[in-house]
Amino acid sequence: MNDGHVGDYAALYALGTLSDAERARVDAHARHCDACARLIGAAESDVAAIVAAEGLLEAPQDLQARIERSLRGVTALAPRRERALWPLAMAAALLVGFLPSMVFWQQERAMRETVALQNAAIGRVTSGAHRTAAFRSSDAREVASVAYGADGSWYVVVVPNASKPMHVVWMHDGERTMLGMAMPHGDVATLYLPKSHRMDTLALMDGSRVVAQAQLTYD
Amino acid sequence: MPAHESDEALAVAFAAHDRWAFGEAYRRYASLLYSAAYAVLADADEARDCVHDAIARLWRSPHAYSAARGNLRSFLVVCVRNDAISRLRRSGRRARLQERLAALPAESEELVIADPIERDRVRRALGALPDDQRAAIVLAYYGGKTHVEIADELKEPLGTVKSRIKLGLQKLASALAAPSERGGRS
Repeated sequence: MNDGHVGDYAALYALGTLSDAERARVDAHARHCDACARLIGAAESDVAAIVAAEGLLEAPQDLQARIERSLRGVTALAPRRERALWPLAMAAALLVGFLPSMVFWQQERAMRETVALQNAAIGRVTSGAHRTAAFRSSDAREVASVAYGADGSWYVVVVPNASKPMHVVWMHDGERTMLGMAMPHGDVATLYLPKSHRMDTLALMDGSRVVAQAQLTYD
Repeated sequence: MPAHESDEALAVAFAAHDRWAFGEAYRRYASLLYSAAYAVLADADEARDCVHDAIARLWRSPHAYSAARGNLRSFLVVCVRNDAISRLRRSGRRARLQERLAALPAESEELVIADPIERDRVRRALGALPDDQRAAIVLAYYGGKTHVEIADELKEPLGTVKSRIKLGLQKLASALAAPSERGGRS
């Protein structure tokens, strides 16, 4: 990419000419660069127009139910994809090794699809200076942890023993800004957040209830 | 389920990672997403798996889509299509893609909403591109090749190929959008 931005890669991305690794880099960049996201979006519209003009097929009747099941947490995977689990298992194990206060990482099939994000998180944690902070409940119990870049450019939230998605929120100036959801895989929920600013108070929320807070410090 | 929501409201809910929005996005764009996958993979089972896995991957990847990205429908089409191309590359069956999609017109008993006028517009728009841009676009869109492979095949510098692809795509989309743009939903 040019100067860290997408440039001509937007068209290459939308047309599918990038390698998987290049595509993951573009995706990661677009998450925190609105200008590049717009550029990619314009190229995506161009490609979608071509796809639509090529003719449409009726989608299989059973696909909607299968997708709905997956969205509810029941993943129906084709048996032939089992072989792809080993690289993911290794990535998950590495992530566990580098993150503090993380008790166990339960491997499961669905995590295959998060491997790009996990790899990005692993890369962040292992390649640069970082800090950690604990999410503590009102009775001071440590319920989760966050590893974050010393410059505030990324955050990885890890919630052990998680049975459902948890909202991660930035508390600032009396307001709460929703950052995303830590999604459970096995009994651990994670959320990787590439950001461009320092956040000093994060909260975990279950619905509208604040479960725990973490205080982050910087130099 | 708020199926009556506008595409814009759906995009906002999708960006916020609301589960209903993922199900509704599939329902709304099912035909287009499945067609995008099938056009690359030419296999109904694989196309079905591909669309399912792409939606599931996005569901497990918060922040994959943001409002800045623009049209959700286009975003999903490219996600599914890129995933399909990755599958095809892994399986080493790219020649099949090139053969199938270069056929004019494509023939498939499953093509139930074939629009010969629209497809002809694509062919004419493609034919109107300068030769060098058309060659790059055909290899990219129909050949499933990476830009590095295209540069190698055309024996041109990588930067030149990138520019040709970018310009070619813009011209092609402009030509398709000009007289009669299709509706927003599949």
